[in-house]
Amino acid sequence: MGDIVTIKGLKYGLQLTFAKGASFDDVQANLLDKLQSGNGFFIRGTTVFVPKGYFAEEQNEALRKMFHRHGMLFSTELKRPNLAPPSRDTSTKASKAKAPVEEAQKMMVINHTIRGGQEIKANCSVLICGNVNPGAQVIAGGSIDIRGTCRGFVHAGAFGDKSACVVADRLMPAQIRIADLVARAPDEEFKASQAERAMIKDNQIIFEPVAR
Amino acid sequence: MSQIIVITSGKGGVGKTTTTANIGVGLAMRGNKVALIDTDTGLRNLDLLLGLENRILYDLVDVTSGRVQYKKALVRHKKYENLYLLPTSQIKDKSAVNPEQLVKLCEEMKKEFDFIIIDCPAGIEQGFKTAIAAADTAIVVTMPEISAVRDADKIIGELGRADKENVKLIVNRIRPQMVEKGDMLDMGDIDEILSVACIGQIPDDEKVVVATNRGEPAITMSDSVAGQAYKNIVARLCGENVPFLKPQKEGFFARLKKLFGLL
Ligand SMILES: Nc1ncnc2c1ncn2[C@@H]1O[C@H](COP(=O)(O)OP(=O)(O)OP(=O)(O)O)[C@@H](O)[C@H]1O
Ligand SMILES: [Mg+2]
Repeated sequence: MGDIVTIKGLKYGLQLTFAKGASFDDVQANLLDKLQSGNGFFIRGTTVFVPKGYFAEEQNEALRKMFHRHGMLFSTELKRPNLAPPSRDTSTKASKAKAPVEEAQKMMVINHTIRGGQEIKANCSVLICGNVNPGAQVIAGGSIDIRGTCRGFVHAGAFGDKSACVVADRLMPAQIRIADLVARAPDEEFKASQAERAMIKDNQIIFEPVAR
Repeated sequence: MSQIIVITSGKGGVGKTTTTANIGVGLAMRGNKVALIDTDTGLRNLDLLLGLENRILYDLVDVTSGRVQYKKALVRHKKYENLYLLPTSQIKDKSAVNPEQLVKLCEEMKKEFDFIIIDCPAGIEQGFKTAIAAADTAIVVTMPEISAVRDADKIIGELGRADKENVKLIVNRIRPQMVEKGDMLDMGDIDEILSVACIGQIPDDEKVVVATNRGEPAITMSDSVAGQAYKNIVARLCGENVPFLKPQKEGFFARLKKLFGLL
């Protein structure tokens, strides 16, 4: 029964359509299954479109969260997502005072290595195609996904979102913060050999391997 | 087409001046007309490495402030006739020359020279900003240790911010035994962090010190391994495809080879 959800590739992302009569719970379970099985469709950074008004607002919200956790964008508007320009000037200012909900759902994409002394700040989630070098900082209201080695300082869920996570091909930051929790690198040197995700479980930052 | 190259590092004492002198002599030996500009105002020593201290009449500050024509301040090398040095002042400080002045000077000198090589001071302050302003290529010198690599990383970031896209790396003072024991960063680590094209790996070599004291850069000594590495760098700058030096230690070189296979 693979047709509860049908996936169609579009220019800007993936369009989802659903079998008649399938309940939201079925759809969600089916999608989660696909996401976790590493289905080749769901590549990080892709936008997933669900027709506007198909589900209730809270249901869309739940889907959005789920896709976010897997590094994807979610939208009900069939249009090209607004990606942050891959600018060299990395000091994109985020005002700590207001963290609008919509902001946290966007994703900023940075297509270069963040070098020592540079800082990225964003209200939303951040996808970095490059390394985060020692002495560099990335602070995000949402999650942080690093397609490379993370040796710098990273803070996900900076406004307190405990469901935020940090993923990297090689996760060996000097210090990692999620919401208000802190973990630091072990004092002995170590080399991360596979992609990992750091997230909060039982009020503690834990690391788990992820497949990508 | 003349090239303007700045030699920079962030961290001090990693070998910028040594590199400037060696590359300068190497390019001149190949028949290029080369000018070396010392921008380490207040701490000049490029003239010492070239054995030219006693011939200095005017300096960079005299030129940029308009007191003399740059040609009057150039010191011709006694042995390599295509090589000229524009020394800097020992008395003034880094604020004595600003970026616009150096850009203007290099524009003028470009008409006469194939290569203009600028020796940059340590740090990322005004002196650095002035030194890089005119360059179209930046060579970042680092050493296989954490603090030097971090500073190089920072400098590469700064260069990017200044829109200097053509950045090359030289790793100086490599000690294969130490790398092998894991007491020094290996090329793989350095390359992963900095991820810019490496054009040279220079072994630690006491001949460099001997050369400094004689005022004759190591590249002129046939028995210097560092000199040989500098020759290869010069060849690469001239567009030749030179393999990296054979390592003396098995493990280290095997790794190097693997790395360079990718480059
Ligand atoms: N490959 C090498 N082997 C041995 N000694 C070296 C090597 N390269 C440089 N040195 C020595 O290191 C010292 C510093 O070199 P150099 O003056 O070129 O560095 P620098 O980066 O210009 O320093 P500063 O930041 O003070 O301008 C010198 O004494 C030089 O002889
Ligand atoms: Mg120097």
